Amino acid sequence: MKKIILETMQSVAEMTECELISDLNEETVLLESGLDSLGYAILVSRLEEELGYDPFSIMDEPVYPRTLAEFVNIYEKYAPVK
Amino acid sequence: MSTLDAELSRLSQDTSCLATGSDHVTVGELRVRAASIRKQMPMVCGLSIALCGLSPASLIETLVAFDGFASQIFLLPARIDHDTQQKLIESAQSAYALKESEGLAPTKVEASCSDLHDSPTRWILATSGTTGVPKLISHTLTSLTRTMKRDTRRGSTYTWGLMYDPCRFAGLQVVLQALIGGSCLALPLSVSFEEQVDTLLEQKVNALSATPSLWRKLLMDGRVLGLPIKQITLGGETVDQPLLDGLHKRFPEARIVHIYASTEAGAAFAVQDGRAGFPSAWLGGISAPVPLRVGCDGQLLIKPAEMPAGDEILSRLDVDGFLDTQDLVRLDGDRVHFLGRVSGAINVGGNKVHPEEVENVIREISNVFDVRVFAKSNSIMGQLVAAEVVADAGVDTKLLRQQIQQHCRSKLEPWQCPALVMLVNDLQETAAGKRKRMS
Repeated sequence: MKKIILETMQSVAEMTECELISDLNEETVLLESGLDSLGYAILVSRLEEELGYDPFSIMDEPVYPRTLAEFVNIYEKYAPVK
Repeated sequence: MSTLDAELSRLSQDTSCLATGSDHVTVGELRVRAASIRKQMPMVCGLSIALCGLSPASLIETLVAFDGFASQIFLLPARIDHDTQQKLIESAQSAYALKESEGLAPTKVEASCSDLHDSPTRWILATSGTTGVPKLISHTLTSLTRTMKRDTRRGSTYTWGLMYDPCRFAGLQVVLQALIGGSCLALPLSVSFEEQVDTLLEQKVNALSATPSLWRKLLMDGRVLGLPIKQITLGGETVDQPLLDGLHKRFPEARIVHIYASTEAGAAFAVQDGRAGFPSAWLGGISAPVPLRVGCDGQLLIKPAEMPAGDEILSRLDVDGFLDTQDLVRLDGDRVHFLGRVSGAINVGGNKVHPEEVENVIREISNVFDVRVFAKSNSIMGQLVAAEVVADAGVDTKLLRQQIQQHCRSKLEPWQCPALVMLVNDLQETAAGKRKRMS
């Protein structure tokens, strides 16, 4: 999951001409990762295409992830059971 | 007929009304500064003036100075290119233009003097019309402030933050509510998000108006969670239930209001029951804040007590005087929910995008046979721009995607560029033969 998210982040960064910070890690604050909020919104839509779900639209209690680790956890938690 | 200065004269003169960094301006000081502007610019008396790119603090001083003094004040929004700016100044018939860097200068428009004893100063705001060219809407201080709270005892306990361009309708609402309600308004030094949040924290802002997208960003950032927020206002985009719930959970003490307003219709109504949409009972007139109806094409019609003037408004009125808001609504049991614009305009975090404009840019690329641009729902920004492209046969699709992105980035604002590009064999049309605009 983390790999897919990181690859998609990279692709969105290239598309929006943003530069991701070099030491992207689990504790990176999302809004400081190099993607702006539009880029982050695009990331969620691109991941929805890729993975088939948008956890933010299906969660009962809204959660606003601060770090990359929190973001990845949300995608893992809401992944459809296969 | 009240003026902004007269409104301020009712307030305690030594309360702080503007805060920028460590600089606090009292109501009395603001009025003195405004009087000095009138003294420096007597030629503006009875004439029409355009305010271009002023800092929020200068803009507010100038508004206090010129309401009731100039015949018309045109608030030119930020981020408008020079040519459009000139066209708008001519179209608003502004005889003078006031710029932060260059000061006051006459324009090419011939000055015609108005007698202010008969009519109040007109406040001209620009809205983006269906073709992307801004349209001018004429308000007065009364039409802009009709729904505002005037309880200064309560107002004086608020410090408002400014997250919007004060020359746009939503930002001007925050400015006027703070001034008229006797609150303090915290002005950020720049429009960067970081600087805005720093200002909110530094001034201990407890009342804040922002778009749903911006609220989500503030919650993600997390720093505002430490603020003693008492008043949350949402507007500019459709509000969803998860966000209302999320805000209520994080700020249980706050009064949460979502406002239905537009430059054209003014602040039409506010919803305070914590639920998305508005009560269906309002359509039948029960407890309705303003008369509301649904038009034959599913669009919301409203009849505000104070209607702004102008050709754009006249063209949208029906025989009963209801204004077509061009917002599509759907009745869901006891609630009415918003679906989007009749024109298919896309709302990306409060920024309006006209699909036709993006389609025209994409059509400029060779190997693009046809294109449909539409709104794709997004849980972070409300909506994003999506494009379905029919390519000429045998084209390298990877290369074409890159070309589309590059070309759009060079011609359009970031939020107008398609976030998703899908290559398809043909495009869907509605039964009426129109392009489908909803995802």
